Amino acid sequence: MDVLRLEVGPALQFRPPSTSLRRVTILGPDGKSLYVYYRPNQRRIREATDGEFCLTKAETGLSFPPNKPHVGSAIAVKQEALDAATVQIKPWWLYRDYRSAAPVLRYGEAWKTPDVGYQPIDELLLEADEHTPTVAVRVCKEEAQGAESGTVYATGRKPSKGPPPFDRLRPLPLDDVYAKANAGKPIACRAGAAVSLSVDCGCGVGLERCYPGEGFKRDGKAFVMPSKTPLGVDLPFDQAEQSPSDWMKLWWTQEAVRFLGKVFRENRDFREVLTARWSTVNGPLAQFYRSNAAANSGKTKAFGLVDDGEPLFDPGAVPVGLLPHDVGTWETVADRGPHAAGILTMPAFLTKYASRRARGAALYASFLCKGFVAGDVMLMPSTEPNLMKRPGCATCHATLEPLAAYFSRVVETDWRWLPEGPMPTLDPRCKLDASGKAPGFCRDYYDPAFSSKTEGMLRGAYASPAHAAGGPVLAGAELAASPELGTCVVERVAAGFLGRALDPDDATLVTSLRAAFVDGGYKIKPLVRSLLRSPQYRSANNLASKGTP
Amino acid sequence: MDRRAFLAACSVAGLGVSGVLGRALFAATQAAADQEFFVFVHASGGWDVTLWADPRNERRGIVEPGSTDNLDTTPIKNWVDRKLDEDTNTFEIVQPKGCNIPFGPGIGRLVERADRLCLINGLAMNTVSHPDGTTYSVTGRHLVGGRVVASSIDTMMANELGKEQTFPSVSIAFPSSYVGDDLDRRVVPLRISNIGAITRTLTRSERWETSADRDAVTTLLADEARELAKHTQYPGALNGLALQYDALRRMLGSGLSEVFSVPALKSAQPSLDYKARFAGNAAINAAFAVEAMKRNVIRCTSLAMGGFDTHTNNYRQQPVVQQELFGLLHDLLGVLDATPHPTKAGKKLADHTHILVVSDFCRTPQINVAQGRDHYPNNSALVISPRFKRNAVFGKTDPDQLLPVPTRTFSDGARAFTPADLLATFVSAFGVNPRKYLRDGEVVPEWLA
Amino acid sequence: MSRRAFAVVSGVALLAACYHPRDTIPAVPVAALPGHAALTVDTSPKSDLRMVPTEAYVRTYLALFGGLAPLELQKRARGADGAQLFDTWGDYLATLGLPDYKTDLPRARETNALMLATFERLGAALCDRAVEHDLRGSKPRVVFDFDAPKELDVTAFTPRFDVLHRTFLGYPEKLAPGRAARFFDLYAKTLTRHAGDAGKTGKDKPKLAPNEAAWAVVCEGLVRHPEFHLY
Repeated sequence: MDVLRLEVGPALQFRPPSTSLRRVTILGPDGKSLYVYYRPNQRRIREATDGEFCLTKAETGLSFPPNKPHVGSAIAVKQEALDAATVQIKPWWLYRDYRSAAPVLRYGEAWKTPDVGYQPIDELLLEADEHTPTVAVRVCKEEAQGAESGTVYATGRKPSKGPPPFDRLRPLPLDDVYAKANAGKPIACRAGAAVSLSVDCGCGVGLERCYPGEGFKRDGKAFVMPSKTPLGVDLPFDQAEQSPSDWMKLWWTQEAVRFLGKVFRENRDFREVLTARWSTVNGPLAQFYRSNAAANSGKTKAFGLVDDGEPLFDPGAVPVGLLPHDVGTWETVADRGPHAAGILTMPAFLTKYASRRARGAALYASFLCKGFVAGDVMLMPSTEPNLMKRPGCATCHATLEPLAAYFSRVVETDWRWLPEGPMPTLDPRCKLDASGKAPGFCRDYYDPAFSSKTEGMLRGAYASPAHAAGGPVLAGAELAASPELGTCVVERVAAGFLGRALDPDDATLVTSLRAAFVDGGYKIKPLVRSLLRSPQYRSANNLASKGTP
Repeated sequence: MDRRAFLAACSVAGLGVSGVLGRALFAATQAAADQEFFVFVHASGGWDVTLWADPRNERRGIVEPGSTDNLDTTPIKNWVDRKLDEDTNTFEIVQPKGCNIPFGPGIGRLVERADRLCLINGLAMNTVSHPDGTTYSVTGRHLVGGRVVASSIDTMMANELGKEQTFPSVSIAFPSSYVGDDLDRRVVPLRISNIGAITRTLTRSERWETSADRDAVTTLLADEARELAKHTQYPGALNGLALQYDALRRMLGSGLSEVFSVPALKSAQPSLDYKARFAGNAAINAAFAVEAMKRNVIRCTSLAMGGFDTHTNNYRQQPVVQQELFGLLHDLLGVLDATPHPTKAGKKLADHTHILVVSDFCRTPQINVAQGRDHYPNNSALVISPRFKRNAVFGKTDPDQLLPVPTRTFSDGARAFTPADLLATFVSAFGVNPRKYLRDGEVVPEWLA
Repeated sequence: MSRRAFAVVSGVALLAACYHPRDTIPAVPVAALPGHAALTVDTSPKSDLRMVPTEAYVRTYLALFGGLAPLELQKRARGADGAQLFDTWGDYLATLGLPDYKTDLPRARETNALMLATFERLGAALCDRAVEHDLRGSKPRVVFDFDAPKELDVTAFTPRFDVLHRTFLGYPEKLAPGRAARFFDLYAKTLTRHAGDAGKTGKDKPKLAPNEAAWAVVCEGLVRHPEFHLY
């Protein structure tokens, strides 16, 4: 782990609009505080609340600006308005049997033996009065829908001038190009864009595609979870209330940790770290991969892509029986799908190393034990966009750009695969016009600097369209076939056991260890066996060596 | 010959300084530097120099300036609109009367103390990797095979001037490294994640064992370590451990644990802004530095402040992060001006405190598709030190691509400045032979006061 | 600059011209150097002692505390007596040198004085709680697997010390000549320092009896010993 450091820092927040429920407090019909959950941007038939909270300012006295406290003076909502816009649900975070028609196994009550690692914060277990146990949550009706698919919603609405109607904070949402072109067509509710494209896609049965939070913020706290885990998540050194973003980042890391542990523990071929299609998941990861909440899904609509058409982890491969609360239950998924490649396609790797180049450089350093050092070259101003040719830059980028190209089809800061079909490497839709500009919708994914008057070039692919097409799977295969991989693994393992960096005098040792490792099928045991029998290991801790009195 | 003349001559000769005479001359300067203090700041993530040190407020070449299109300008106190195009405003250069340095608005309140600043622009980084850029900025060496191969600047200064201090070098999330020969084990950076850890680590209950009991144990262990060292072929670690046991005794005997608690620090230095969104923690660390210097128990305080790595639309907050960092430095200078030096009668801490502020690298002159700026192989650094020129800016970048350009001839010809040059010059200012720690880099005498 | 100064500087420059930092010379295997091919390979250690990895230290510490999980240990060490023997693990992990992968803070590979202070803090918590548990009759004993009479001479001290020595340092004390005597001296002087404790009352009343304090101090000397932290 010291090499890859696969823990994602605080800069990255996992909070897709499609899966993040906010909780606001209104006054119920009895004049008492009442929690209601909703998704910002949720499309609704009712015009006054379309794309916003499902009760109007006239009904609650309040407006709910995004990520800020409410404004206005609360009034008691009428029962009929409340019933028309909201519904009560027994959600997954409270009920073990949330998938049943009438859940009864509530956390801490009838559900007597929850996984010790699963602990919602008290604020999710109590009503707004802070002492009444929550037995069901009130949620806007659209969010409460359980269907797997819906239809694309279009209103035909025209832009209007003047302040937003109905005391809304924002103007009424308009149909985008995709909605206009696909109105009435089916859309998978697990698609990231479904929240803003349909009125009949919700959070699923028991709200299982969504994560709760304690308040109006995007990163409200939800779970008590390990926060310091130097000896592993099973031996936490601290527990803290944290957000669903922290929750998922913890499990992304644990997927990689479990995966690596399984490779070593079961003495598997080390190259599987780069190539395996299998992985292991627990309940939270199963929920995550089922809900498929890619962080960035809106911008590919222009290419006809609203969901992850070819996910890196096939949701169909997720064990059906794993529930979100099954924190300590890990199951092996034999085949994540054709785009899976060891740790290279895990969210922990793809978000820790968020850009194409960072990913390529991480592979280069971690698995080939090499680094990019430019030396003393002077970078001169140049108009050459190709960094593999540009003076000075080429020293590193001639190697780095082709490595980065492997990740051209994995969205940066995300784990989403861009399929070749709707987004070819060379796309005529993204060609340059007479003034050298590409259409606006192409800008995020196609690079004008490498596009032509006839076609646009997928970003990052210019260095090697073949690498771009092969993706991380090809990267893993080529790294696994590299003779330098074996040497690099040997050097890292030997340095760890010897407690010191290797130096040129260790060349013979490295050669013999490499032979043991490679001839042993890239398995760790033959390598360690050979290392432990070496004189260098035997004398590594010999304080009374020759010359000592 | 004074120190500057000596360094200038050496530089002309194109050499680092070494040899017997060199050591003698450096030693003379160093003797006068043993009551100096150092604060090193790492702006973690790579700052956008076009918003403060190397301001750009027009579209030229590949430069897209900071503007109302890509920044949240409302909280920026030095932001004055300047027309960029029909519906976009960039900023006016910030350069009050008497200030020789043109700044961008990110400089915040620190511009009020421009007469104290020495700015180095156009530092050639030759890297855009965080680990490498960070390491290069604080050690003067790139990573080799992913490994740090040289000591960081705080370790260098502590090794030269801080061995006897209770806290030779406190490193608060700073990229400190301790690598190389001829290093004293007492100056291994005292790495902590937050200042509160010092108090909690040094707190002891007297109702179990007494201070005298613990001291007796530590004394015995120091003896044990020295005894073991006599019987090994490699005594360095054991002898080093013995020195550290001795240092621990001093540390526990200092009675400082409560002084460095967070509430005590806030109370002792009320003028620092602990509520700042990005610089709040750094303010506590700065308060620690002052309190430790005041008591003459520290030599180097190294701290980091994050929030600069803005690849996406979080770039909008880049000037706010800068404004907070430089606001903190402004406030820190105010405190140093008002605080007497612990050993030099009639002097203030500001007269003998030397601040070096660096970052991983700078950010691209272009705005990327995610509305942020990526990594770029250029950099700037800020020195606030009585031993450096004040109200001065050195180095430059080309107007179209923000790349470092040569402004001076070195022994290897004309080239841009590098972090190694900056570090070599910095250590030389205190009589330290740069070649003891730095393979590369040449002293730049014209930066020195 | 005067001519004399220039001459001095020129001299320095000449000397400096001969100077090259050692890593400018590429490292090569010894055998590759002319005339060295037939040399016997030196298999002696190539580096100084290293710090025991922090994870190994912490796991050992947990085991010595009776195999508790970290949070259980924290609860046990803090106790309900307001004794300030232990804060939280979060206060110690960074000073112990553990890396923080989230912020890419690398692991510390060398000890430092503040790390030793943390070792002392942790060592005191272990030894004091172990004294309370083991020397006051609770079974099974975790650290002090022997009785502790109030009066002990060096002969009676040594076998008991051997128990602790084997526990913490992994080998018999007799293989470390003179160590038992040095630690007995520590033990005896601690007893002397605490001889007047009996008369203390209220807030000043010590938590440990003099012989308990003396054994706690011996224990701390072993759990903080150089051989415990370096290998």
